Amino acid sequence: MILAWMLIAPLLAAPGCLLLPSSLLRRFSVVAGCGAHLALIAISWNSPSDAIWNGYLALDPLNHLLLSLISLLFAATSVFLIGYHQRSDVSKRVFQACILALLSALTLACLSQHLGLMWVGLEASSLAATPLIYFHLGPRALEATWKFLLMNSVGIAIALLGVFAVALASTQLEIGLLMPAMIENATRMDPAWLRAGFLLALVGFGTKLGLAPLHSWKPDAYGEAPPPVAALFAGAMTLAALLGILRFQQICVAAQLGAFTGQWLCGFGLLSIAVAGLFILNNTDYRRILAYTSVEHVGVLAIGAGIAASGGAYAAMLHATHNTLNKGILFLTAGILLRTFQTTRATELRGLLRQRPGIALMLLVGLLATSAAPPFGMFYSELGVIFAAVATGHWIVAAGLVLTLAVVFVALMTRVLPMVLGTPSEAMTAAASANPPETRWRRWVMTAPVLGLITVAVAIAVYPPRPLRSALDAAAEAMAHPGSAIAQARQSTPPAPGPVEVVATSPSEPRWHSKNKGEIVEKRLDRQAPVLAEARP
Amino acid sequence: MIEAALVMVLLLNLAMLSASRLATCIRLLAMQCAVLSVLPLALHAGGEGMSLVHGAGVMAGTLALKVVLIPALLLRAIRTTEIPREVEPLIGFTTSVLIGSLLIAAAFAVRGRLPLPIAPVSPMLLPVAISTALIGLLILVSRIKAITQVVGYLVLENGIFLFGLLLMRQMPLLVELGILLDVFVGVFVMAIVVHHIRREFDHLDTQRLSEPAAGAAA
Repeated sequence: MILAWMLIAPLLAAPGCLLLPSSLLRRFSVVAGCGAHLALIAISWNSPSDAIWNGYLALDPLNHLLLSLISLLFAATSVFLIGYHQRSDVSKRVFQACILALLSALTLACLSQHLGLMWVGLEASSLAATPLIYFHLGPRALEATWKFLLMNSVGIAIALLGVFAVALASTQLEIGLLMPAMIENATRMDPAWLRAGFLLALVGFGTKLGLAPLHSWKPDAYGEAPPPVAALFAGAMTLAALLGILRFQQICVAAQLGAFTGQWLCGFGLLSIAVAGLFILNNTDYRRILAYTSVEHVGVLAIGAGIAASGGAYAAMLHATHNTLNKGILFLTAGILLRTFQTTRATELRGLLRQRPGIALMLLVGLLATSAAPPFGMFYSELGVIFAAVATGHWIVAAGLVLTLAVVFVALMTRVLPMVLGTPSEAMTAAASANPPETRWRRWVMTAPVLGLITVAVAIAVYPPRPLRSALDAAAEAMAHPGSAIAQARQSTPPAPGPVEVVATSPSEPRWHSKNKGEIVEKRLDRQAPVLAEARP
Repeated sequence: MIEAALVMVLLLNLAMLSASRLATCIRLLAMQCAVLSVLPLALHAGGEGMSLVHGAGVMAGTLALKVVLIPALLLRAIRTTEIPREVEPLIGFTTSVLIGSLLIAAAFAVRGRLPLPIAPVSPMLLPVAISTALIGLLILVSRIKAITQVVGYLVLENGIFLFGLLLMRQMPLLVELGILLDVFVGVFVMAIVVHHIRREFDHLDTQRLSEPAAGAAA
């Protein structure tokens, strides 16, 4: 029943946003909807929840982790929005209702174990997101909205073709389109149609995820939507789209097509990181710069998923976790910047450290976390991906990853560091002092969620709690060895988290790159200490 | 019967490529959807192991949403926005029909290389589905106006629907209705955005979206 409530709770709060008389009450009903969702997620961590609707909706390790992250980000953003919304002539009722609808649609996409139902949820989330981009009105926002709507609709239509292709591959087996059954019978499916289905889904959901070269809507949408909405897009919607790709990959890995899917994921991932590095240098709008960091991070996620079977899965899940927290911190800070200085141009903002030390520090922390500086979680996850690539002999991927990440690092630093350091311009001083004093409480309400996210991000990077570690482990296991993960779930004994261990493989398990120089490396990264894998001859 | 319907779908594809007026284009699209909506019941009658409720449900949903509501929405968008009612192709009509025919030929040519795990109702179903999807993409990229891009999206969707007919048994009715509903809401939102584009820019030319009309706030 909890699962049904997760879907319904945000929708129950939506009429409140549309109908309540006072603006403050409406904002609180958004918080209520997102808060209720987070509370339900918290319950589901403590007590296992049963599948509902004949197994169409169920929690498994993979979607449980991703959905928890989505819920956390929505809760933080809903608090942020209390302070962010200002009195204006634009009605915010539809906007707030759409945020709740987006949460519900993403929940449906994550929870569903049926590929068709997952598609319905993802498409619904695009549609709920469209009015959010057009919130500020104006021609540029309209252009961004049209681009987003059309590219995502067409992309996701292609993904539907992918769902049908996979259905066609399994049509003789009469097993339906439910994930557990498909994974168990994956080896008996038609590999040609399975391959076609994966590629179509990768292109389709990749458009929604924002992998280069399908990312062109992303800088526009993130640049024109209000920054809190961009935070939801970059941190939450990408996770649901990623899950869409991972579902197809699970089936393919179980069908021993892991090498095939891996090379495509790595290719798209490397291209995304490279494109992001080049375009960050070319941009002056700080929200667009942040949009390209999102392109970079989904690229890392894709590579991690591509080399899932060799430690990449754990790193990818870790990266997804920190990506969500990180995008929340960055875009919410961008929202505070926009509210304080009323400009989106990075070149106009100089010397924040002297003008507004608090905001400058938050931006600096977000920047360091994004560029994977050591105390932050992305350091471990990106290093984990690189190590996994090296350990399996993917030298080209490893080299490309290091090179492109370095380009992104330099580009990001040259663009954003001057915003923090340097001398403030006169226009900035004027804009900052023009803010009336009654906005002080708003500033605190906006700062609190950012500080909360920073605390969580640093805490789980420095010392990840045991439940999180085992959740990451289980999710990585479901990615890397979907077949055995399902079998284990049947026995209802989740894998015990432990120190670095070599997973014993049975011959029936899918082996990734088994033809690659005859070396198979199985290894799990644990406790975020990336340890070089011992290659077994 | 099924084959006749599929040939109709192909002809309507080519007709849409050559239609020079927006309203004609939308009416042709409605006709294509109407032809498609008959197919699930025809499949049921052909003994494809699909239940009557399922076939009738999909048919009713398609008729209501794709044949009546969506064309009405799009026609209304044309009327209220008073745009010039020509299609304005990037690729000329003759050339697009030619490319369309080539796509159809290609779809039939590759049929042999895509072995189906099950014997389809009609050997034409798969090539017609692929060529319809491709022609949808062609309309999408070769026409300038926002409305025609919506039409292209719907033609693509029709191609996918045809592809889905191959495996009606595996898709539960609820999921199919969910897909239909999503498509409808998608077109609904697109129609609203089209309306805003008109108000903001004085034109529906997606190539010039980045230059605002005089007087509009930049």
